[in-house]
Amino acid sequence: MDWIFLSELAINGALTGLLYSLFAIGLVLIYKASSVPNLAQAGLTMVGAYVVLALARDLGLPLWLAIPIGAVLMFGLGFGIERVALRRLAGRPVVMILMMTLGLDIFLRGTTLAIWGGTSRSMELGVSYEPLFLGDIFLSRIHVVGAAVAIALFVAFMLFFRTRTGIKLRAIADDYMASWSVGISVERGVGLSWALASVVAMAAGVIWGEIQGVDQALSLLLLKGLTVAVLGGLDSILGAVVAGILLGIIENVGADFLDPIVGGGSRELIVAAVLILTVMIRPHGLFGRHDIERV
Amino acid sequence: MQDKVEAQPILSMNSVEVLYDNVMLAIKGVSVQVPKGEMIALLGSNGAGKSTTLKAISGLLKAERGRVSRGEIKFEGTDITDMLAQNRVAQGICHVIEGRRVFEHLTPEENLTAAAPSGMSRSTLNVEKEKIYNYFPRLAERRNSLSGYLSGGEQQMLAIGRALVTQPKLLMLDEPSLGLAPFLVAEIFGILQKINKEDGMSVLLVEQNALAALEIVSEGYLIENGRVVMNGTAAALKANSDIQEFYLGAGEGTDFHNVKHYSRRKRWLS
Ligand SMILES: Nc1ncnc2c1ncn2[C@@H]1O[C@H](COP(=O)(O)OP(=O)(O)OP(=O)(O)O)[C@@H](O)[C@H]1O
Ligand SMILES: [Mg+2]
Repeated sequence: MDWIFLSELAINGALTGLLYSLFAIGLVLIYKASSVPNLAQAGLTMVGAYVVLALARDLGLPLWLAIPIGAVLMFGLGFGIERVALRRLAGRPVVMILMMTLGLDIFLRGTTLAIWGGTSRSMELGVSYEPLFLGDIFLSRIHVVGAAVAIALFVAFMLFFRTRTGIKLRAIADDYMASWSVGISVERGVGLSWALASVVAMAAGVIWGEIQGVDQALSLLLLKGLTVAVLGGLDSILGAVVAGILLGIIENVGADFLDPIVGGGSRELIVAAVLILTVMIRPHGLFGRHDIERV
Repeated sequence: MQDKVEAQPILSMNSVEVLYDNVMLAIKGVSVQVPKGEMIALLGSNGAGKSTTLKAISGLLKAERGRVSRGEIKFEGTDITDMLAQNRVAQGICHVIEGRRVFEHLTPEENLTAAAPSGMSRSTLNVEKEKIYNYFPRLAERRNSLSGYLSGGEQQMLAIGRALVTQPKLLMLDEPSLGLAPFLVAEIFGILQKINKEDGMSVLLVEQNALAALEIVSEGYLIENGRVVMNGTAAALKANSDIQEFYLGAGEGTDFHNVKHYSRRKRWLS
């Protein structure tokens, strides 16, 4: 057993997993506020990546400017989507809202295809491709950067949910009617969660765009992001982070064992197995809350 | 009947009709006046329309696909019939909804913070919180535990405290005594009376527990089938033979609540 090789697999898996978390955090934000897994998160991720590309490449803005401007635009887009498409669905069955997010996903992806075409473009963040050495272990720099972004966002949200606005958002996640009864604007809160999720989607889009190029394939992240979110518990940001690391490690280490046996392609199977087993054995995930039952 | 005539009621509701889903007529011309600084009770049995009346006043009807289809509601002289719920809270109306719906995954401390009006400064909020913890010392002890794990009485206190953070001029409570031991009901009603006296906060209290309610209010309305069928001072209502027979009868407490749950379940299934 080569322990160095194994830990290299595990650490790189964990880093990749944190990039899944980056995607999953967006899902969790919307799930908390509206109890619906947002299938449009993939579409938002692509739009986020393309918006930054457009600002940086087409308009020639420096990245340090393109990314904050992109974030503001995505914030507005998220608010707008909630206002135009979702608010009118309030009180309808959750499955209808889910279908709406599916429609939005197709719409957003179609829009990027129509505007920017189907050829893959590179993000060019300027992160070096030279591997980073941690003792004898090779790490990819962009993965380290992405993982750092994921952790920074995680910390930022943990702090945010302790502020007054954050507490109101958690109150909304708990009980719409009670929120209205004390004058909390549920509509604004849900809008804010869409806005924040859109900004997170942009972060995921930029990092993943750098890794695999900006094109329609970015939307495939939805499968892994959703798996991470479900494993984490759908409504827990901490869950999204822990589950991301876990899935990344299982996927990377597991694939190394299984690929020689099944002849490649085992990553997808591992992710599918994790999703299916989670739903079967632990439907509320690692950290998901279930309704409090007093004894 | 009406012996007490105030200058201008803080709340006046005139011939209000409420429709749910555009078809279900839940209240049929209800008129209720709450004089400023008074405590008023709204009595009646299951499905009479008490909660609907409160929701029409607080604006929470919209969340249940209900609307006021006739009549008007005035608060401090302003027509609020079509106002958004959050604006009514800002005007000074707060509704403690049925079933002590505290934010279960938040602590009592956070429940109070969540209800703070957006313009309230941190120091004012802290003063308000301390005031509430003074009224309800049990909450102070448990301020940092999850609200979902509080006892029923503590949750009701928290629901009331949470409403008080919005600094209401009119506090409306929907069956706060439901499922609570008599000594807790007495404690909670005592606090309501105290706040009413000290701060001049008006109270509209919905109760099936007429016996307890008529002890603390000055005036009451009896609703049946979506209509006000009786209105008078607490003393007059207590003396009324119908009220005595139907609402103050022996062994009322527990039986009532069984009936309530039964009919509730039926409503969900239908
Ligand atoms: N959301 C709703 N949609 C349709 N009908 C409703 C709704 N809420 C209440 N109703 C109906 O309106 C009528 C009045 O109900 P309401 O809840 O106001 O009664 P209540 O006096 O509060 O009764 P309880 O003591 O059981 O709480 C009932 O017939 C009820 O079935
Ligand atoms: Mg009721």
